Amino acid sequence: MLKKDDRADDIETIIGASVQVEGDFSAVGDVIIEGMVSGKIKTEKNLRIGERAKIFASVSAANALIAGEVQGNLKIKDHLELMSTAKIFGDIKSKVLTMATGASLHGRCQIGEEKPSKPEKTDNREKDNATDLDSENIK
Amino acid sequence: MYLYLYDHFLNNKKFNSTVAKIETRLTDLGIGGKIIRLSPLRDINESLADEIRNGIKTVVVVGDDKTLNQMVNVAAKYDITIGLIPVGPENTIAQILGIPQNEAACDILAARIVEKIDLGKINTTYFLSGIEIADNQVTIEIDCENKYKILPQRAAGRLAIYNLRPIMSTNLNGNYFDPKDGFLEVLIQPIATGFAKFLKKSFGQSIIPFKKLLIKSQKSVSVITDGKRVLKTPVKIEVVPKKLKLIVGKGRRF
Repeated sequence: MLKKDDRADDIETIIGASVQVEGDFSAVGDVIIEGMVSGKIKTEKNLRIGERAKIFASVSAANALIAGEVQGNLKIKDHLELMSTAKIFGDIKSKVLTMATGASLHGRCQIGEEKPSKPEKTDNREKDNATDLDSENIK
Repeated sequence: MYLYLYDHFLNNKKFNSTVAKIETRLTDLGIGGKIIRLSPLRDINESLADEIRNGIKTVVVVGDDKTLNQMVNVAAKYDITIGLIPVGPENTIAQILGIPQNEAACDILAARIVEKIDLGKINTTYFLSGIEIADNQVTIEIDCENKYKILPQRAAGRLAIYNLRPIMSTNLNGNYFDPKDGFLEVLIQPIATGFAKFLKKSFGQSIIPFKKLLIKSQKSVSVITDGKRVLKTPVKIEVVPKKLKLIVGKGRRF
């Protein structure tokens, strides 16, 4: 997971506060956004959205740490971390979610990969055992 | 077999002893070869084409950044290896390539560490190091492969595109500006003010890797390549992967 104090060695794209990106933005490596992005953001690695960043886009990444505002749906493969200043206006889907006190989320939330289990059919043997026990109790 | 191309500024008397030392060292190392002295009237393309036809495989540029960049545009057409012996004050590319000045560079040539590196291409001109947008007051639009646009919000302090790591940027850590990664990088640095200016650090800079882009502007702006060639916007810029075979030093910055 991309932490705030990570070395810059792993960073490949930085969109600074003085820059606006419009369109279908996709990157191979880690992405840090401090400015404004509208359209789509896609990375196969880590994404960090800074406190002052404003995102009007659907977001897709392996891991994400969000401290700014996102207006759009988020699809995170592994770990989504919302900092206390994060504001999300959209649906999120992730395997793991960590949410700090103060973070706001306006949208549907789907966390984890588990599917709902189906009701199990009771076995005939179990039924037989149950009737045996009942008959013993009557005796 | 080596071919040495001497820039015409080496004809100046003050470089006589340096050139003599270089030639002695090359002879000692057994890598001496034919020498061609460039002049403003001599066409580098023609001279080189003849020599390559005669079997030259390695061309060593003796001069500065400007000489090397001139050579890059010619060398891109042929399958040859380029070496560099930096002489003179304007040799920033040599520092990035880990090549020391003057006769010390001969040992790098003898060690012969060859790297295949990417080149940048602006319209039809190749560049090795990078390009800069001269006028930072005009609104610029950078269109990346028709997929997304980069719009600097206010007049940028510096807008440049790099293949090699820029020497002056000491605070740009990380694995950017690798000439072997198949990408060029856009660097947008806002004007440093207040505390940032005092610390000589640039906050809020953007570094965006790309393969192909188009720079447009409302008003025509000059774009300067590292060979000091000036082009006007709109310009098309792209990376040409592994285009140049270059002899580099151990201390190279990539």
